[in-house]
Amino acid sequence: MHLMQSKNRAAILGYGAYVPYYRLPTTEIARVWKGGGSGPNVEKAVAAADEDTVTMAIEAARQAMKMAGTESVGAVFVGTESKPYAVKPTSTIVAQALGQHHTLAADLEFACKAGTEAMQVITGLVGSGMIEAGIAIGMDTAQGRPGDDLEYTAASGGAAYVIGRKDRSAVALIDCSTSYVSDTGDFWRRAHERYPRHLSRFTGEPAYFHHIESSVKTLFEETGHKPSDFKYAVFHQPNPRFPVEVATRLGFTMEQIKTGLLNPMIGNTYAGSSPIGLAAVLDEARPGDKILMASFGSGAGSDAFCIEVLEGITRTRGVNPTVKSMLERSTKIDYSTYSKFRDKLQK
Amino acid sequence: MAIQYWRRRDRYYRLVGSRCKDCGDEFFPPVYKCKGCGSEHVADKEMPRTGRIVTYTQLHEPLPGFEAQAPLYLAVVKLDNGARVLTQIVDSPDDSVRTGAKVEATVRRMRVDGESGQIIYGYKFVVRS
Ligand SMILES: [Zn+2]
Repeated sequence: MHLMQSKNRAAILGYGAYVPYYRLPTTEIARVWKGGGSGPNVEKAVAAADEDTVTMAIEAARQAMKMAGTESVGAVFVGTESKPYAVKPTSTIVAQALGQHHTLAADLEFACKAGTEAMQVITGLVGSGMIEAGIAIGMDTAQGRPGDDLEYTAASGGAAYVIGRKDRSAVALIDCSTSYVSDTGDFWRRAHERYPRHLSRFTGEPAYFHHIESSVKTLFEETGHKPSDFKYAVFHQPNPRFPVEVATRLGFTMEQIKTGLLNPMIGNTYAGSSPIGLAAVLDEARPGDKILMASFGSGAGSDAFCIEVLEGITRTRGVNPTVKSMLERSTKIDYSTYSKFRDKLQK
Repeated sequence: MAIQYWRRRDRYYRLVGSRCKDCGDEFFPPVYKCKGCGSEHVADKEMPRTGRIVTYTQLHEPLPGFEAQAPLYLAVVKLDNGARVLTQIVDSPDDSVRTGAKVEATVRRMRVDGESGQIIYGYKFVVRS
């Protein structure tokens, strides 16, 4: 068996999403670099000049703690590939802002799947009884090299999850998960480099599709679940096309994935991508609904989860702003403002 | 990190101020002695994160380090407990920034010490309509 399931049941007690206020239409990127056209997504979410992974993680985590009603946590894990410091944890700054000191704190790194990895580790810590509750955050301010194809999608945002012992007020049970990894060089960034590099030829088949299909199929084989058991499915979203394609290959319908499909409106929020898709689904889900979530991280790997919505979801309505409200509360910027915000201008 | 900032990080990240144990008055920034009754029995207390704009101004030539954010709004915010905070208003449409507008605290970068120094975080406010 490859399935991971905690002996003591662990559940999501609260969650919070964060999408920054600014949107860059991809027609702006195409206008500057290609003389017209657009990217695969309509817009991408852009962090303001004074935002970074720390500030966005604090916002999402604060919401998640509020919904959970949790005063203290035993772990603060931030999954990200855009740490403000190369050396100095993002997680200690977040913990300080949450008033948490007697806690594990660590930054997890695995390209776009660092957030779901944090969820698995905390599920294990809660499941073993080592901690009562912990907070897992997937958050990024992803940057693409100006003019590179990645620039259309590389976006900012993410979500935070307080995971603790399953109790009556719990929002959703983390029933089980699987992971599948291999050494695959589809995307990387060497130390001291500002922007990542990628091999377009590797991005799809041997990377995204192979890893997600492997983690999800393992989950199906070992639990006996099939796509029709799930009300919703959320896949990592590097562009609008891949999640639809992988869903179709695995036997899911558009109806199951549309609620969590945010790439067309916000782009690829990297470690935040599948966690924020899950948040959008939880905003609408009802007790008893099953959710499949599968992340993908370059380098490469995928985590697949079976999540079951619990009665506690009904008490969460109106507690925090929904993902939908964050998509609506936004303003468009042009390429020059984006360059100024994201430090792309040399002075 | 300047030692002063390090000592004040709970104030900057969590709006930790003071509450007088004798008369109940609350203050931000924190005080050693109650400004209302003069009592020295004051304790740390997290301020409410919501309030209203009392007065504001728009800066077109902000201080060094804030150039990328110009033009920016500076406001005096009265928190729900009556404490007053001088703060920047961010992520809010121009027509929403007005006297009486409801605002909520957020944490943002305040200052970045060049390419190799530390990043200083602190509170700013967003209009919540
Ligand atoms: Zn007093």
